[in-house]
Amino acid sequence: MKLKIFLVFTLIFLLIGSVGIVEQVNAENILEVAKHMEAEGFDPHKVPAHSSIQLYMQVYEGLVSTSNEGDIVPQLAESWEIIDDTTYLFNLREGVLFHNGREMVAEDIKFSFERILDPETASIAKSNFEMVESVEIVDDYTVIFHLENAYADFFINLAHVYSAIVPREVIEEHGDLMNHMVGTGPFKLDTWNPDNYTLLVKNEDYYIDGQPAVDGIRYSIMTDESSRMAALRSGTVHMTSISPEAVQILEGTSGLDLVEYSNFDYTYLAFNVTEEPFDNPLVREAMSYAIDRELLAEIVFDGMAGVTGPVPPAQQIWAADISEFPSYQYDPNKAQELLAEAGYEDGLKFEITTSTAYDYMVDTAVILQEILQAANVEVEIKLIEWGTYIDTWVNRTHQSLIGLNGAGRTPDRALYFFFHSTGAANVWGFSDSKFDTIVEAARVEIDQENRQELYHEAQLRLVNELAPNLFLNTPSQFYAVNEVVSNFNPTPYQAEGQFKLISLE
Amino acid sequence: MRNYIIKRILSLIPLIIGITFLVFIAINFIPGDPARIMLGIEGTEVMAEQIREQLGLNQPVIIRYINWMGQVVRGDLGLSLMTRRPVMQELMMRFPVTIQITFFGVIVSLFLAIPSGVLSAINRDKLIDFIFRILSFIGISLPSFAVGVLLILFMSKTFNWNPPTGFVNIWNEPLKALTILALPVIALATRLAASISRMTRSSMLEVLKQDYIRTAKAKGLKERTVIYSHALKNSLIPVLTLIGLQIGYLLGGAVIIEEVFSLPGLGRLLLTGIHNRDYPIVMGCILVIAISFALVNVVVDISYSLIDPRIKYE
Repeated sequence: MKLKIFLVFTLIFLLIGSVGIVEQVNAENILEVAKHMEAEGFDPHKVPAHSSIQLYMQVYEGLVSTSNEGDIVPQLAESWEIIDDTTYLFNLREGVLFHNGREMVAEDIKFSFERILDPETASIAKSNFEMVESVEIVDDYTVIFHLENAYADFFINLAHVYSAIVPREVIEEHGDLMNHMVGTGPFKLDTWNPDNYTLLVKNEDYYIDGQPAVDGIRYSIMTDESSRMAALRSGTVHMTSISPEAVQILEGTSGLDLVEYSNFDYTYLAFNVTEEPFDNPLVREAMSYAIDRELLAEIVFDGMAGVTGPVPPAQQIWAADISEFPSYQYDPNKAQELLAEAGYEDGLKFEITTSTAYDYMVDTAVILQEILQAANVEVEIKLIEWGTYIDTWVNRTHQSLIGLNGAGRTPDRALYFFFHSTGAANVWGFSDSKFDTIVEAARVEIDQENRQELYHEAQLRLVNELAPNLFLNTPSQFYAVNEVVSNFNPTPYQAEGQFKLISLE
Repeated sequence: MRNYIIKRILSLIPLIIGITFLVFIAINFIPGDPARIMLGIEGTEVMAEQIREQLGLNQPVIIRYINWMGQVVRGDLGLSLMTRRPVMQELMMRFPVTIQITFFGVIVSLFLAIPSGVLSAINRDKLIDFIFRILSFIGISLPSFAVGVLLILFMSKTFNWNPPTGFVNIWNEPLKALTILALPVIALATRLAASISRMTRSSMLEVLKQDYIRTAKAKGLKERTVIYSHALKNSLIPVLTLIGLQIGYLLGGAVIIEEVFSLPGLGRLLLTGIHNRDYPIVMGCILVIAISFALVNVVVDISYSLIDPRIKYE
């Protein structure tokens, strides 16, 4: 009797252990990618997590896309006509099928943008398209966008992955796209096994012949970097993004290529400009002199990072040269003079808050603490967990904060989004009417040269006079890639978007 | 006996209500807002409010707890706040992974620990005892994750071998599953075996001092019989208690081992859930962990009576 009960329990134990795991598809010509975090959901209009974007890039498409150099190129729209500054006509590609087999038509464009603009959706793309007045369907393959006012970044925003064209019926069936991916892209979702792997398979109906070149992509979730490196070494995975430390370890490994590219992210030290002592621009300027940005790049990112202003150098013509920012010269004496002028003759003491979620943030805080001592500034570091960090960031309960901004592809995003007094991500409590006027004017200025001048002026004002944030470093991005992988040459504008071109030898 | 089991299982109910209530309150009172975490830096307060509204996060915590309990009673664990997937489905995918690691980890460690513990005890202070004691001391001093990372690095550097990616079901692809499980199981078993071996040794030494062992020997019973059917059996009670506790902990997910070996187990699900303040996920995990911990202890209690007939449950 007792023995029986014992055996029954053991059996139950084993049975529970056996259900539920989805069998893995074995196929050749599959690109094996190690990913460090699981996607947080699949809705391109709703989830901004990078782990999710990596998948949208393969599954969803927009009206237009960007070339490796950042030029606007056709995607679902074959061609377009600029009727006037506020009216844009798009001719859609014919015969493009969603992954559920239905043809993509003008109605889907209208539906997708109405979904983005609907406040109920709470879409992350909404602020990119506030100026869209209406989307008019001319026929199945022609749509016209009517804008309320001219908007210089309209096309670049259309090319963003958040502006994906999605099928109405899938959303109507499931309520949203959190668990379903039905796009028009080169790959479609086959299996999602959370925290284990995601398998995308080739879209056989893709409208460009010969793309994608592989039969699928398997993203294996490997949180631990040493596991990712080991899997790379043994050939279990073809490619993965890696940190600067890993670059040093993997350098010279035969059979592995290390690919470096830049993106639009930068680290910053943000001040709570609504409270003492940082409500005084002099104090903020002093801090800028007291910080050695080169040294930070050297120590925190092992030299694999650049120094940046509010518009990162990857935005090329839009970025002001850092030599135009006098306070970027490391000068602790000047910093002390400015502090004295602001009434802090005996030095300054403040707290830096940052999150333990990212090593570079913690490292930046520690090095800053060290550097600032030379200017008689004493720093206390407060480390908090990510969820709490976001709370602090939103509610501005910090004195100063170290973080990472994604400045995006356009100066409008880099400047308006973060620093205009009504900017969607202006959590700093920063407001300057002159700066507002400049970026508002730039937003509707279609002439490129005038625009460039306006943004230049805005950057100088932001850094040299106001300094609400101290812009620090743009870390380089790295992929470690097995040599069997070819046709992968990431640029700031196209990295994961090139996966459809990759072939395996 | 049957009544005893029923009684034990019924006593789980208040326990589970207590645990889930405390955890629910805790996860809701620590700072961090799921809507904000979801939106990251892209979010405005208007959007966050919209999401909170849609997810029902605007209601008071107590009301949400009662709603959640109401669902659980009907067998519905709700949807994850982040991914909008059914929590039950997530658990059904994760728990088997955790069970397999636990099961093999315990089996392997028992094969190592019991014989070494017994040999150590009967050869007390001889060379073999010293060797096993040193080994188990090393085992207990090394954290499992350190063993894990060392194993991965060793295998990939020396043999250019790495466990295949993607966890598979042991019944579908036993060979592949075993190759995936091998390293994590060894990493877990090292530490587990060390502690069980030490416990077996000391418990065995205790029993060997007892009068009835001397009597058995005096009766002229064979050494083997004395050791295996008299001494070992009687020394197993504390060992079983230890194993039971360890299984309970392991079923709660060996988070770090899962991270190191990229295994999609319960521990990682819980950890991500806490990071995201995804309380339906956290609560689902806690429920599974609490129930399995309690059930394992029931099984351990029952097995006492198998080993020692003097122990009876009414």
